[in-house]
Amino acid sequence: MSGRTRDELMALATATLDHVARGQREVVATEHEQQLTRFANNTIHQNVAESSLQLRLRVIHEGKAGVAQVRGESPDTVARVAALAEQARALHGASHAAPLPGPDGGADGPVAYSAATKGASPELRADLAAVVVREAERGGVLAFGSVSTSTTRTAIVNSEGVARFAESTEADLITVVRGDDGAGYAARHAVSVDDVDAPGAAAEAVDTCLRNQAATSIEPGTYEVVLAPYAVIDLLDHLGWVGFGALAKQEHRSFMRLDERMMSPSVTIVDDAHDGLVFPFPFDYEGVSTRRVKLIDQGVCAGFVYDTPTALRDEVPSTGHSLPQPNTLGPYARHLVMSDGDATPDGLIGSVKRGLYVTRLWYVRDVHPLRTIITGMTREGTFLVEDGKISQPVRDMRFTQSIVDALADVRGVSSERRLALGEDASAVLAPWLHLGRFTFTS
Amino acid sequence: MQSLTVKNGDVLDVELSEDVGAGVRVIVDGAWGFSSIGRLDGESVDRAAAEAVRIARASARVQREPVRLAQVEPAHGEYVTPVQRDPFEVSLDDKMDVLVGADAAMARVRGLTVREATLEFVKERRHFASSEGASITQTIIESGGGLDATATSDDEVQTRSFPNSFGRHQVCAGWEAIEAMELVANAERIGGEAVALLSAPRCPSGLMTVILDGTQAALQVHESCGHPTELDRVLGFEAAYAGTSFLTPDLRRTFRYGSESVTLTADATRPTGLGTFGWDDEGVPAQRTVLVDRGLFTGYMSSRETASVLGEASSGTMRADSWCRIPLIRMTNVNLEPGASSLEEMIATTRHGVFLETNRSWSIDDRRLNFQFGTQNAWEIEDGKRLRLVRNALYSGRTPEFWRSCDAVGGPGEWRMWGVVNCGKGEPSQAMHVGHGAAPCRFQNVHVEPAR
Repeated sequence: MSGRTRDELMALATATLDHVARGQREVVATEHEQQLTRFANNTIHQNVAESSLQLRLRVIHEGKAGVAQVRGESPDTVARVAALAEQARALHGASHAAPLPGPDGGADGPVAYSAATKGASPELRADLAAVVVREAERGGVLAFGSVSTSTTRTAIVNSEGVARFAESTEADLITVVRGDDGAGYAARHAVSVDDVDAPGAAAEAVDTCLRNQAATSIEPGTYEVVLAPYAVIDLLDHLGWVGFGALAKQEHRSFMRLDERMMSPSVTIVDDAHDGLVFPFPFDYEGVSTRRVKLIDQGVCAGFVYDTPTALRDEVPSTGHSLPQPNTLGPYARHLVMSDGDATPDGLIGSVKRGLYVTRLWYVRDVHPLRTIITGMTREGTFLVEDGKISQPVRDMRFTQSIVDALADVRGVSSERRLALGEDASAVLAPWLHLGRFTFTS
Repeated sequence: MQSLTVKNGDVLDVELSEDVGAGVRVIVDGAWGFSSIGRLDGESVDRAAAEAVRIARASARVQREPVRLAQVEPAHGEYVTPVQRDPFEVSLDDKMDVLVGADAAMARVRGLTVREATLEFVKERRHFASSEGASITQTIIESGGGLDATATSDDEVQTRSFPNSFGRHQVCAGWEAIEAMELVANAERIGGEAVALLSAPRCPSGLMTVILDGTQAALQVHESCGHPTELDRVLGFEAAYAGTSFLTPDLRRTFRYGSESVTLTADATRPTGLGTFGWDDEGVPAQRTVLVDRGLFTGYMSSRETASVLGEASSGTMRADSWCRIPLIRMTNVNLEPGASSLEEMIATTRHGVFLETNRSWSIDDRRLNFQFGTQNAWEIEDGKRLRLVRNALYSGRTPEFWRSCDAVGGPGEWRMWGVVNCGKGEPSQAMHVGHGAAPCRFQNVHVEPAR
């Protein structure tokens, strides 16, 4: 379904802002369209589209603050959201909400946008699914997965003069291919649906599946590992979750000890919302321009991401990493990029005497955030590596491991990297990693 | 919806929200299509319906068999969550008083880094109509609240939550549910426990007896019984995302899932559960299904489509988390039915073990067999006595072996309906509110260790 133009959405946001006469006001107007075609057992079994407009209004006045949010449209939507915000503010007790930021002169770009994705049809999505299904049928196995396209227009205006707009798109193909006794996985993410490599993903997943049949169990213990990017993103994503935000630092919950070397010199991680490889987006949910932040510099803890409330506390500028305010989560790094190395994936495997190759991780949860201990399972492609070669598939295993400890013993980094999405849809660009020690518990 | 949060003595958030729209699901040429729109005028809904038809025709391009649905009598009627006091009739000031009072009580504890108190109220009006002739109106009312107290040191972060973790405990009920939680009365206690955990000894390790409190029992049921008895997972519908299930149809009525003490039901008729309603989102009446009968695996949660694969009627568990998403098989209230024991008796008859309270971490494999959970509190038990608080407890195992080792479940007096508000499933992802009735329960020879 067609959406609003930039001018139309900005006008709606401004009209909402102007509907409340007093105090500091902020409007986040989001118009979102998403289409997703899902397949299982070589058949499209779910196929959906959604479109919605959401207005979020925050009012701060006389030491009180209130927030209203309305999704859906009716003739009185603007008046309704304004009335709800005033109702919330009027009944609010004492608040020390941070003042709203003013304009910072940042440009509304670069932004991840593709007209091809915006205009993608259900027939195109079905045809991409068919590419995977046909490849699975050729391999005598079954394909499962999804093809999705989405377009989001975001307008942010506030009473201090902030006026930002961006239209962004995303296209994703995810597949699990299953045989009688084992499975393979592949995923591709792109700004343009034209850049989603369905044949490549299909071939990769079928190949992994066919090599991953009749896996055997091995003893739990500590192994050298080569992690594919699908697995590495989980490590980086959880570091962001438990430690890269300034609120975690201020509440003494972050593992990061600034200026201290905690990881291998091979590890450099930045948050870069301007990097064209990680769905660039120019500003955060306060309308503040998002800056590039070096988080880990050659193994040394180098910095945190900030929003306005945490920046005020530390008397530094916001880095433009705010989630919708107010929130209890704090600022969040959503565009993580890990630096590449000079190895090939095969070269990393070739340097392992006896260890494991792990395609992806699953159900990863924090066990001890301060020590970055996580637990989870391997899934869809775990292989024993012996004398530099993948020798046999092994049953999925549970790991319980400190991320920081794992990244302190990096023995190789690939030059090739893959874009993947974290569990909360943050974009992560990750290489293959050869790690010296990774602990599997069952 | 109303959401209120007080953090460290400051009113962090008062948020009022509304959400309006319609979704249209169709079968055309034997294939599914769905479209939704955030407007309720006829022209917009017509557009959504037309798009759903086009999408269904696209689905038919990649299809092996046409969709078949189990029959259901078209339903007509209305359902409203019974409440003693509508939470939307209670003033925001009264609600804020509860949060400010609880925060003040936590603040009396020295050494807390973060204090959070939250209330949430939901009123949802849902209309369902089908071309088969169904027409249903339901009003679902939810009330939830919770406290989190966090203490930190150089090497520890310890959080205690009340009544449950994940931000709050929630039920389909009115303001009376918030009053029954006694948030203010429990605030200082949980704050003190968070601080005590910083210096508590580490949890012992080894094979031992484990007693779970009701909240952790509820999560154990959720992950290791609720999800694997969802028939769409069994049939591969979720294989690329949430995963599949070890409970395949050939195991039904022959596989020993648990001990004789273990009876598990999916019951959408049980009062106050977050999965309690009149009809599901296919218009199938709410019902009770026995999933595990005295240890024997017996049943699934199903939809009209998945039930037809087994030649059965739907068990009425199709639910969408909003108008813009399709219904999926979701847990209703998956309950561990009460036994005849009590927490006191379980502890008194335990030689060596731990009593575990309130979830802290949770992970399970994609077939729902290999799990590892951690809890906020762990109490060491020796020779029938609760000795001391220990920290960072983890327990792990495999689902059938674990449930077969269950030798005691608390009785009706300790059985309570718990709410889980963050159950993720489906693509695009949906977060469902589900209920779990549970009482404290005991398991033997469980692997326990501290996080290290």
